[in-house]
Amino acid sequence: MKHYSILEYARFRWFKAAVVLSLLAAAAYLWHDPPIKPYGGTWLGYTLGTIGALLILWLLWYGVRKRRYRSTSGTVQGWLSAHVYLGTALVVIVTLHTGFELGANVHTLAYILMLLVVLSGMYGVFVYLRVPRAMTENLGEDSLDALILRVGDLDRDMRARAMGLPDDLLALIDRSVSDTRLGGSFMRLVTGIDRGCPTAHAVRAWPGMARKLTGASARLDKEVYGLLLQKHQMLERARRDLKHKAILDLWLYFHVPLAFMLLAALVVHVVSVFIYW
Amino acid sequence: MKILVTTKVGRGQVRKTVSGDWLRVGRNTSCEIHLPDPRVPLEQGMIVYRDGLVYMEGEAGSQVITRRSVRSERMHYGEPLAVGPYRIEMTPPPPGFDAALRVELVHPLEAAPALAARASELTLGSLGLTKRWAAWLWALAVLLIFLVVPMGRVLDLPWRGASQTALFGDKFWNPGPVTLAHQPIEPKCSACHEMAFQHVKDRACLECHKNIGHHVGPEMKPAAMFEGARCATCHREHKGVKATHRDDDRFCVSCHQDLKSHAAGATAARVSDFARDHPAFRVTLDEDGGKRRVRQGDAPVAQQTHLKFPHATHLDPKGVKSPVQGRIRLDCSNCHKPDASKRGFEPISMPRQCQECHTLQFEPAVTTREVPHGKVADALTVIEEFYANLALKGTPDSFQKAFGVPGEGLLRRVGDPSPAERQNALALASRKARQVGADLVEVRVCKTCHEIASVKSAQSTEWKVAPVRQNMSFMPHARFDHQAHRQTKCASCHDVQSSKSSADVAMPTIKACRECHGGSRPIEGKVMSNCLLCHGFHDATHPWNPNPARPVTKVAEATHAR
Repeated sequence: MKHYSILEYARFRWFKAAVVLSLLAAAAYLWHDPPIKPYGGTWLGYTLGTIGALLILWLLWYGVRKRRYRSTSGTVQGWLSAHVYLGTALVVIVTLHTGFELGANVHTLAYILMLLVVLSGMYGVFVYLRVPRAMTENLGEDSLDALILRVGDLDRDMRARAMGLPDDLLALIDRSVSDTRLGGSFMRLVTGIDRGCPTAHAVRAWPGMARKLTGASARLDKEVYGLLLQKHQMLERARRDLKHKAILDLWLYFHVPLAFMLLAALVVHVVSVFIYW
Repeated sequence: MKILVTTKVGRGQVRKTVSGDWLRVGRNTSCEIHLPDPRVPLEQGMIVYRDGLVYMEGEAGSQVITRRSVRSERMHYGEPLAVGPYRIEMTPPPPGFDAALRVELVHPLEAAPALAARASELTLGSLGLTKRWAAWLWALAVLLIFLVVPMGRVLDLPWRGASQTALFGDKFWNPGPVTLAHQPIEPKCSACHEMAFQHVKDRACLECHKNIGHHVGPEMKPAAMFEGARCATCHREHKGVKATHRDDDRFCVSCHQDLKSHAAGATAARVSDFARDHPAFRVTLDEDGGKRRVRQGDAPVAQQTHLKFPHATHLDPKGVKSPVQGRIRLDCSNCHKPDASKRGFEPISMPRQCQECHTLQFEPAVTTREVPHGKVADALTVIEEFYANLALKGTPDSFQKAFGVPGEGLLRRVGDPSPAERQNALALASRKARQVGADLVEVRVCKTCHEIASVKSAQSTEWKVAPVRQNMSFMPHARFDHQAHRQTKCASCHDVQSSKSSADVAMPTIKACRECHGGSRPIEGKVMSNCLLCHGFHDATHPWNPNPARPVTKVAEATHAR
């Protein structure tokens, strides 16, 4: 079965809806003859503003709908597809609502927040289209848990074998086994890089230290170093996976709070406009 | 010799037979006693046979144990040695062996926690990053700073005082700049926005704009005509510094293109665009019965002036004869002087503009004196006094020229004049004065310009000069600025070159205006001209009545009920 992305959902149904909505708004804007100049307070301004506000509330409702697993109002994919496309159309509608009147005020604050929410959402779509493929390519048939278990096995094996190696090499292995970690900080998760990783350090330091070995020790060294490289490679894959997951998560840490800020700014905008009607 | 090494591994044990005089002890797999523990050096020590087993250990890091041993212990049964975490004990050898050793790990290494234990914080969420709290926090901050605090003042909430001094007051609610004239009151929202959740009332506007005129007079019943309209219906503030209304024809045309259906009593003709659809101008004439508006058309419009003034004669290209300057060519500016505003002109005044040529001399043979311009009686009095004076004091020369008979002033003669002589002199002077006065008024001077009626009675003749009507405003409702049109010749609009009568109204027709002025749409070579270029909406001749019997607008009604 071919995989359809949320963008293609129901043969671009929501894309078409968004285009129609935007074109209708643009046509109305061009046709409209405002009393002095286009702005939010003309009848068209109020109409576009109302549509925009209702759209914002509906887009926010997606956060509720996607958690309602038993809901039967459409599929979550459908909702997401509509969320993405109508969220994009929102920019057109709200921009026309402003009549391109911007300034240092709460109304423009709401507008900018709306833009930021939509932009972060667009970035989210981009991430959702790009990252899962990279995740599959990175992990293949493995899972993160399996990788971690296999690293544990490697650790035991590596340590047992390393007993026969000189102290400095054993110390490298020992630190790799006992101090290597995954995640634990924002930067490590988002960049996928652990600057102090003892395993990476061991991989780098090993060749120089093992050069002096000969005979049986040298053979053992080759074995252990092979294991170390395997472990290092697995760690890199695990870290890349964590990075992918963090990136899939990260934009939401902007998208959601910004959306709530937008909701607040929208309330401020509407209430303040009608207080000073 | 043969040594049996028994190593305890878990619950079982591993036996190993070693042949030789010595056994190496260490982590290395090549050691005969292999102690696989990271706490044990690669080669820890040796057990050698010297009349019994002796355990020896070298200096830390040195593998040359035999030469520089730091520990050397002879082994006895029942006295195990501690080697790192291990215990090595000599046991009685089973048959066939020379010695036996038992190795046991007594302090096992605590197993290093697996990677899984150090991989607990694998998601952003597990780091304590939060979407929900951030969302609520930011949202509340926005609500607090931009809504709750600022609305204290307008909604009269307990923190009213704070909201006036707060950094983030209601100034952030201002959606855009106000017009220049309103900028002094811009920081004070309540100057216009008096009540929360209510439209700005007309009252707020009229606080300053007291003298604003209504669009139509009371006879047109403006209350019904503009029902529901507010100042803000047309005037939108916060839309830039230039204007509060749109400078185009939309508002005007919406009614005036079919005015009758909006106002039955309206006399204005339908109009939708100056260039394409605008009626001929109406000229306001000042007549005996009052003002009268006449639409320009095919027939020339005449304004009754009671003045004889042919523009054609005065603008004769050959010039006119001036008693002072000889023959001169006049142009418009010789007589028509701009007023202080430069938009219009000063009224024509006889002494200023006419009298230099049209002198009011009455006895030029004797004097350059002129009668005053004004009442006929005053002029006649001056004449009478002049001749009386001449009859009394005149030199023989003047006397001869004035009266046409030889003689001299009565008082110049020697001796007191007799009563008969007095009578004669007075009669002479009076007769001459009457004769000159009649000639001045009816023939020579006044009649030149004025319409004069003579009322004859038995004793005397009285003259009535028809009052001159000088109409200074033929189009009082039009905004016209002569200064703005100064690059144009007067004659382009006012055709007086061939006018033989002062009754000719030389106001330009719409055709003349249209040569330069287009309509509401841009046309090449024409000035785009909308209604408000020439017309005003608020007509000062219909003052806005702040206390009408029936309020002007619905909103105003609510306002005045308070």
